[in-house]
Amino acid sequence: PAVARENNCLNAAKACNLNDTCKKYRSAYISPCTSRVSTAEVCNKRKCHKALRQFFDKVPPKHSYGMLFCSCPLYDQTACSERRRQTIVPVCSYEEKQRPNCLELQAACRSNYICRSRLADFFVNCQPEPRSLSGCLKENYADCLLAYSGLIGTVMTPNYLRSPRISVSPYCDCSNSGNNKDECDKFSEVFTENTCLRNAIQAFGNGTDVGVWQPMSPV
Amino acid sequence: EKAPVQSRGCLLKEVHLNVTDLGLGYQTKEELIFRYCSGPCAEAETNYDKILNNLTHNKKLDKDAPSRTCCRPLAFDDDLSFLDDNVVYHTLKKHSARKCGCV
Repeated sequence: PAVARENNCLNAAKACNLNDTCKKYRSAYISPCTSRVSTAEVCNKRKCHKALRQFFDKVPPKHSYGMLFCSCPLYDQTACSERRRQTIVPVCSYEEKQRPNCLELQAACRSNYICRSRLADFFVNCQPEPRSLSGCLKENYADCLLAYSGLIGTVMTPNYLRSPRISVSPYCDCSNSGNNKDECDKFSEVFTENTCLRNAIQAFGNGTDVGVWQPMSPV
Repeated sequence: EKAPVQSRGCLLKEVHLNVTDLGLGYQTKEELIFRYCSGPCAEAETNYDKILNNLTHNKKLDKDAPSRTCCRPLAFDDDLSFLDDNVVYHTLKKHSARKCGCV
């Protein structure tokens, strides 16, 4: 008989719906994020973002991170990874009619105080450091995951890219950057090529203890 | 008018199910806790119910058989959302009981 492959993202969704708090706040964002409001708009993006921020504010990380940072095997690019990509209902919370330039998006974020402070948190807490074993300058994966999930529900809402390895990005790119191409690439790579964030997500997904990289105390 | 009575016999019960067990036509592997109301409501009956019982028994109502006191949800649980196998989200409303009473 075929071996049933574990789908961690499905298991996390099951666990969420069996928990009254997670179930309540999950449907409280899925409803506005999937309700068409007019022929032109697939949803009310403002309400969807607000409900997503509430979900990550109110639901214990065990459940909210369980769905957002679930681990998927490399061979699985559909059932597991697609479910993980759909966690934030990207058609409403993420995608736009046009993909803006990342520096333009950053300027839009700076004009909003919630987004500005959460983006600053993300840059501080997920700052990569190649010389550290954890890959992070501030060796605290939990703070990096918190800062990353805090961006969900802002104009900087990030999501997983369809890529075999873990890579995330806000909905923007660096075309039409002109003289600012380097600056834009640098900004974009803090999401797409961030070893600290990638390690933090993998450590959570694998159930590795958040403190593993810290030196063991002598026995 | 008399408010619904929370009878000792009429209780909120729960069962852990697959969403497909609900028979609503969804294809998904997600699960839920389904809560329902069950139990007798005899002790909550009013004169109205006693009269209906007597009239039905004595065949005074032609072929009519009006409903007697029932153990039913007084309030419903929070909505439930799930992702189906075709990557479409669905949200069920008023699908599960939160509070029961004899009405």
